[in-house]
Amino acid sequence: MSAVRAPRVLRAEQVSIPAGHGLWRLPMISGAVGLVGLVLAFAFRGGDPKQFAFSWLFAFLFFLSLALGALFFVLIHYATQAGWGIVVRRLAENTMATVPVFAVLFIPLLMGMSDLFTWVHGVAEGKDHLLMSKAPYLNTSFFVIRAAIYFTAWSAIAFYFFRRSRAQDATGQTSVSLTLKRISGPAIIVLALTQTFAAVDWIMSLDPGWYSTIFGVYWFAGSFVSFFALMTLMVVGLQRAGLLTEIIGLEHFHDLGKLLFAFTVFWAYIGFSQFFLIWYGNIPEETIFFRHRLEGSWKAISLLLAAGHFIIPFFFFMPRTIKRKPRLLALGAAWMLAMHAVDIYWLVMPLQHPHGFSISLLDVAAFLAVGGVFFAVLSRLMLGAPLVPVGDPRLPESLSFENV
Amino acid sequence: MTPALILAEFSTPAALYRGCERVRDAGYTRWDAHSPFPVHGLDGAMGMKRSMLPWIILVLGLGGAATGFLLQAWVHSMAYPLTISGKPHFAWPAYVPITFELGVLGGALAAVFGMLGLNQLPRHHHPIFDGSRFSRFSDDAFFISIEAADAKFDREATAKLLSAAGATHVEIVPETP
Amino acid sequence: MAPIDENDRYDPVAGRPTLILGGHDFHSITEAVARPVEGKTPLAWWLCFLPSLALLGLLGVAVSWLFWEGIGVWGLNVPVGWAWDITNFVFWVGIGHAGTLISAILFLFRQKWRTSINRAAEAMTIFAVMCALIFPGIHVGRVWVAYFMFPIPNQMGMWPNFRSPLLWDVFAVSIYGTVSALFWYVGLIPDLATMRDRAKTAVRQRVYGFFALGWRGSNRHWQHYEVAYLTLAGLATPLVLSVHSIVSMDFAVSQIPGWHTTIFPPYFVAGAIFSGFAMVITLMVICRSAFGLDQIITLRHFDYMAKIILVTGTMVGYAYGMEFFIAWYSGSPYELFTFTNRAMGPYAWAYWTMISCNVISPQVFWFKKARTSIPILFVMSIFVNIGMWFERFVIIVTSLHRDFLPSAWSYFRPTIWDVSCLLGSFGLFFTMFCLFVRFLPMVATAEVKTVLPQADPHAHPPDHAPATARLAEEGAH
Repeated sequence: MSAVRAPRVLRAEQVSIPAGHGLWRLPMISGAVGLVGLVLAFAFRGGDPKQFAFSWLFAFLFFLSLALGALFFVLIHYATQAGWGIVVRRLAENTMATVPVFAVLFIPLLMGMSDLFTWVHGVAEGKDHLLMSKAPYLNTSFFVIRAAIYFTAWSAIAFYFFRRSRAQDATGQTSVSLTLKRISGPAIIVLALTQTFAAVDWIMSLDPGWYSTIFGVYWFAGSFVSFFALMTLMVVGLQRAGLLTEIIGLEHFHDLGKLLFAFTVFWAYIGFSQFFLIWYGNIPEETIFFRHRLEGSWKAISLLLAAGHFIIPFFFFMPRTIKRKPRLLALGAAWMLAMHAVDIYWLVMPLQHPHGFSISLLDVAAFLAVGGVFFAVLSRLMLGAPLVPVGDPRLPESLSFENV
Repeated sequence: MTPALILAEFSTPAALYRGCERVRDAGYTRWDAHSPFPVHGLDGAMGMKRSMLPWIILVLGLGGAATGFLLQAWVHSMAYPLTISGKPHFAWPAYVPITFELGVLGGALAAVFGMLGLNQLPRHHHPIFDGSRFSRFSDDAFFISIEAADAKFDREATAKLLSAAGATHVEIVPETP
Repeated sequence: MAPIDENDRYDPVAGRPTLILGGHDFHSITEAVARPVEGKTPLAWWLCFLPSLALLGLLGVAVSWLFWEGIGVWGLNVPVGWAWDITNFVFWVGIGHAGTLISAILFLFRQKWRTSINRAAEAMTIFAVMCALIFPGIHVGRVWVAYFMFPIPNQMGMWPNFRSPLLWDVFAVSIYGTVSALFWYVGLIPDLATMRDRAKTAVRQRVYGFFALGWRGSNRHWQHYEVAYLTLAGLATPLVLSVHSIVSMDFAVSQIPGWHTTIFPPYFVAGAIFSGFAMVITLMVICRSAFGLDQIITLRHFDYMAKIILVTGTMVGYAYGMEFFIAWYSGSPYELFTFTNRAMGPYAWAYWTMISCNVISPQVFWFKKARTSIPILFVMSIFVNIGMWFERFVIIVTSLHRDFLPSAWSYFRPTIWDVSCLLGSFGLFFTMFCLFVRFLPMVATAEVKTVLPQADPHAHPPDHAPATARLAEEGAH
């Protein structure tokens, strides 16, 4: 394969979904699923508002982490001037642009705050000395203000990059790429800080006595690997629908496979660091986190996470041949998404079901609700513009990219 | 003099690449290309199969890791058990660092010595070093060498093939006496 | 040599900025890199080598005195049982990591610009690891039973404690040194062949030839070679992460506030890369002007290195922030005290040196002008290393000198022998590095050749505008 080709002229039907294609129905189908989920979830909410809140948090965190993973991918892509992934960047942009919707999806969590977070009552009562020392941070109003800051920051960054990239489709101006590159650096810092504190607020404070400095990084690692999994599935799915077949090739899949491998290992590294240091130091305030997750049938979930989120994918994504077979990659990617769901479940649910895991109908309903809305918005965005940033001046480099 | 091999010089990586394709297509099996750096895609142009080194590395790497883990487990559970910070004797999380490091060491040693073994290096003497211009292979020249032991080797025909393939200089290199 | 404009922003073949300036071809690269090794020793080299040798002598004296008199010659006390010794250990290991990052991680990321600096960076790693390993070796007190650390049969039927992070260090750092040396050597083989083939004296030919192993540039050899290289890169990457994570665990597995915190492993790794790149910049600024290699090690290379410093410095700043926040959030008075003590206690001067050097000063690298200004790069690289030395010092000493029990609080002051050991270790490092640049090609010649446009067998003649894909007019959306 040559390192450069004559200017490629992309035909419209390669990069946009033709009218009448089945994919045009996707927003409606997803929306319908979402609606079913919403109806079910809210119908059963009255019976067990606490379970509803936890189920909704689980679903919310899972899908939000995909959107935030996409956001980080786009930013890091501009910052490092990576060449291979321009063909897939538009898919990431579409994913990250769903972030503002999560601000709306956050509302049920606000409604269920006192069910989720024991510190809401605890701080109001004022009796627990330890909790009161955290009250300047863990209080309802500051919590809401911080959430507003996170969503504002994420939406602003996502929208800006999303719209400038789309505008570049028509103009092909290099100045757009240069501007986005320049602000991607500060944007990454903002994202890192907001995502960290979102993890602190929404996951770590579920047990207000527990703390871990690496926690933000842990959630970030999971969100990034699951985003690559989602992207792999999106690409394979689109190619099976007859799109992007001449644009995204084995070389790109190979890279996606490498990234899935690398970030699976990264997640395991972060997760093990956290576990190992807490295990070794053996300090009760810290070990309680793992004590909860080794209780009853949670132990099986912990083992599943170690084996399924690390050991199996480590050996699965290692061989070069697997990375160059899109069907197998897609299988691995679907597995990683499932494992990410297990990870989020394992983070959140032990507070609701301390003695063992038990899947409730509300978990399924909330998952369908949030997921349906997420995919409806995502697919609508996908339909609205070319599937590939056709105006990016470095697109040819990505098209003719070749692996070692 | 007994010829050992025929040596053809090429001036650019592109010329070498095309030359290799010709030699491969002509059916030669005992031949090689020489360059100051690895030329992209030349493995395919020479019709080479994939290297088996990754398997050697995987096996020895996992072997190293397993050795490390078993050693630690045996030492702390059987050979010299001590109660350390109140943890059980079989404290597998604490075995992870050394297990990992020994796995990496195993893989690295396998990579280096496996590579040298597969390349049959060190080999300080080889007839090709007698080629008059061969020393430039490590600077900026590119070569194809076809062994006389190859079934299709023929002084004139092979030399003609190489010249037609774009060689700038062709010579017969004798066996070292 | 084809004329190429120094300000040419695009390599006409790949659409990427030109890495090697001055229109070099394969031969001129060989010449440029081999010249410093073959010519007369420049005066500048002696000016670096002799003072380094003197400092190496100082190290010999300091270590000998230490063995003779004991650890008491250092300023250690109770509770501060670790100070400069372990600070220096972590400092040197950290510096080594940048070499591996450049060799291995940038290779995996297909960053071609690494080829100009990876040989020197890998050498730097090996010498840094040598310096690092001195300190755990000499700080044990009873050096004559240092073999206790290794799992070898001994007269007491005793095994080392594999569960201790100190033993993980023994394995991790020595394996890291071994793998780095192997990686460096493998990369050297083709270049040693070049030196062998150019050698004018029999001694040089024999010595280079011996170590070149009879390399003849065979593509069948290159195939296995590339697999080995890629695998070594793939192994060295997690190795780098694991080694400095294990070093961080010397502290993190304890229960001491300021030490026991889950973010240490990735935070230490980021800090190591941060300081290592700074050292690479320091060395490259000196070497490229001393040896006339500024067309191979260009301002663009420094631009990228400065960006990495900015990124990793920001990660370190993030970790500082998280530690501080969680110290408060945890509600543990010991945690919070440790951090306020750092900023406002007796070692505040060390803390604020660290903050200014590590967090504030690298911000200058947001500006491209700073990233491509040699004086700023040189000064900044030294500041970063000062800051990173102080970071380890602050972590170790502030947490030890005032932990849970106020009656056990104390203050640590270094002695002349602490200082001598540190200065002496720089002597070892620079002596080795001077010898390296004098006798071995300090740029990976074969690798640099692969990034020249003419190395691509499918290169088309240059066409100056990078190709742009456009939608066909008909059916445009």
